[in-house]
Amino acid sequence: MNQTLFTLAWRETIRSAYWGKSLATNIGLGFLAVYFSVCFLILGFAIPEMLTKSFPNADPVSKFNGILLAYFAVDLIIRQLMQKLPTVSFKPLLLLNIRRPKIANYLMIRSVFNFFNVLPLFLLLPVTFSLVANAHSGLATTSWFLAVFILIFSNHFLAIYLKWRFNEAEYGFFILLAALAGLFAVNHYGIVDLSGALGKLLDLILVYPALTILLILLPVLFYFLNVRFLQSRMFLNVLSVKQKEEKIRDYSWLDKMGETGRFIALELKLIWRNKRPRSLAMMTVLMLSYGLLIYRAQPGQEIPGFAFVLGGIIMVGMFSISYGQFFPAWHSNYFSMLMCQRLTMKQFLRSFYMLVTVVSVICYLLTLPYAFLFPKIVYTHLAMLLYNLGVNIPIMFFVGMYSKKRLDLGQSTVMNYQGVSATQWLGALPLMLGPITLYYLFKLIFGDTGSYIALGAIGLTGILCNSIIIDFFAKQYRKQKHQLIKNYKNS
Amino acid sequence: MIQIQNLVKAYNKEIVLNIPELTIEKGEIFGLVGNNGAGKTTMFNIVLDLITASKGQVVSKGIVVRESEDWKDFTSAFIDETFLIGYLTAEEYFAFIAGLRRMSKAETSDFLATYADFFNGEITGKKKFIRDFSKGNQKKVGIVAALMGKPEIVVLDEPFANLDPSSQYKLRKMIKDFAAANGTTFLISDHTLENIADVSTRLIILEKGCVVRDVPKTENTLQEVEAFFKPVVEAHLF
Repeated sequence: MNQTLFTLAWRETIRSAYWGKSLATNIGLGFLAVYFSVCFLILGFAIPEMLTKSFPNADPVSKFNGILLAYFAVDLIIRQLMQKLPTVSFKPLLLLNIRRPKIANYLMIRSVFNFFNVLPLFLLLPVTFSLVANAHSGLATTSWFLAVFILIFSNHFLAIYLKWRFNEAEYGFFILLAALAGLFAVNHYGIVDLSGALGKLLDLILVYPALTILLILLPVLFYFLNVRFLQSRMFLNVLSVKQKEEKIRDYSWLDKMGETGRFIALELKLIWRNKRPRSLAMMTVLMLSYGLLIYRAQPGQEIPGFAFVLGGIIMVGMFSISYGQFFPAWHSNYFSMLMCQRLTMKQFLRSFYMLVTVVSVICYLLTLPYAFLFPKIVYTHLAMLLYNLGVNIPIMFFVGMYSKKRLDLGQSTVMNYQGVSATQWLGALPLMLGPITLYYLFKLIFGDTGSYIALGAIGLTGILCNSIIIDFFAKQYRKQKHQLIKNYKNS
Repeated sequence: MIQIQNLVKAYNKEIVLNIPELTIEKGEIFGLVGNNGAGKTTMFNIVLDLITASKGQVVSKGIVVRESEDWKDFTSAFIDETFLIGYLTAEEYFAFIAGLRRMSKAETSDFLATYADFFNGEITGKKKFIRDFSKGNQKKVGIVAALMGKPEIVVLDEPFANLDPSSQYKLRKMIKDFAAANGTTFLISDHTLENIADVSTRLIILEKGCVVRDVPKTENTLQEVEAFFKPVVEAHLF
């Protein structure tokens, strides 16, 4: 029976029109996977030496155990952002002779085959052999390895369970972040030594290997939470409609801005009434605090120039990059209707441009307080604002012409997991790496400040030419119209 | 009003639509029937320039639809529920379309008021997004939206499907009244022969992409069309 389900899932993947056409995406993902694997491997070999050097008097294994909790916490967040949930379109299966628990179990089993469960092994194996095995018996080492292995899978099942939950209540992710930050504070200020506790537990396992058996309870518990949750969701009424009254906000004031205003109102409704763009918008707000992370100078060290470029592009441009990389697929569900209407492509593109401009400028103003830390942020962020509007948006228009995949907005949020995975972040990379590369190029010629001026100048040129650019793309999009309709229909 | 010239649509050499010559006059309610895969939706999609023809062209009021977009000024359509914007309420959707079709707020509400009976109190005034509507109610929204802004050509693909019996009768009358009042050309397809025979002034049967019958409506149209689609086996039995 499970084999049937696997076959179904396989066919669902390879027969979607999206498959194969996204070669670049696959290569990109593959590259990232190899890159991180190598990093972890190198780190795995380097850790024993680093630990003995930094803490000459302590037991390195025990030190390693002590930092594992922090790793798992970070892992949990990364998984929330990157890991894909296993899905199956189970609606057609419900009436067949397949029991609900079977479907749930199948999904859980499939979820295990995930890169995020393999990645830590690249670090763990070298550490096990070069650090733990040196100081402990074979049995102790094995059970220690198993214990960490089990913890990785506990984290996996916990991450998936949370992700499923957050899918229904999107504020969950922010609560998780807050909770983890709280735990970090508790730990950091020594109120309760959490990481020490996990470290002690693992130390103990090295002495009493049999304790590992107890740890198995953890993944089993999370596994059953998942299965129970999935089973409770496999009903059509949960799947389809929420019958509660919707909160309808009025956007008619935008009508005063004419045709463009009407489209901006449509975009705003799209963002607030659909889960996926809404979580992107919330992410934008969250990203405003990225500066606290990146604009922190260690005493005696200077912040490298690229940090200002990256910080600027992320904080000012997060919304346009994350929202814009799916332009025009946000409108894919009713794209053919739009193509029958008396709207011109120009209005369509311009309304997007205006929306992004307004949001970016607001983001710029909101990030200005960082200038108290580093006054130069006033102009570095301005340069990135100009660059983002003048260069990145045309790039997104260009990429959008070849958009392949329809975005399913129509489905209710339950069981709709389209989108939040590593692929989504991949498209953003060139948009962020582009200005960093240019920054270093210009720095060679014009120096640091001159480089920002140059970046801003390019952007400003793009903005001044925006009506030419929009005209150009309007023509191109009209040519691409039939292809886009076909792609959206087939995906 | 609409001329179809040497139109061929083929996918990988398999011809799905082949209409050498067809002219639809102004004010005609042009009914299209045919079994699945006969090419009805394909034809409508080509008329609306949503897919490209392999050969030939469609000329709408003198405009080659493939070449200019000016036909959009006088054409509207409802093909399927992908023509709706799921995250809007019905009112918002009507307002959006009204804006595109240059109707004022007052015109829009007057216009919608005339369809209150068709809506049956289930469409407007609900705090509900279109995506949460039933199939039938979604269809009603789409059909009425396609009539907004006094279009000269209205394309409706299977408008009767998913509608409840009363609404089907109401829709028949609506289409006939609208055409009589505005001189609108309708292109309609459907599988219920009775509906399509009643509403249209000219009936075309498509089979495997070709026009096999083209009859103006008379009293016997329904019987004629029914006879065409009845399985041969049944005829032997009697």
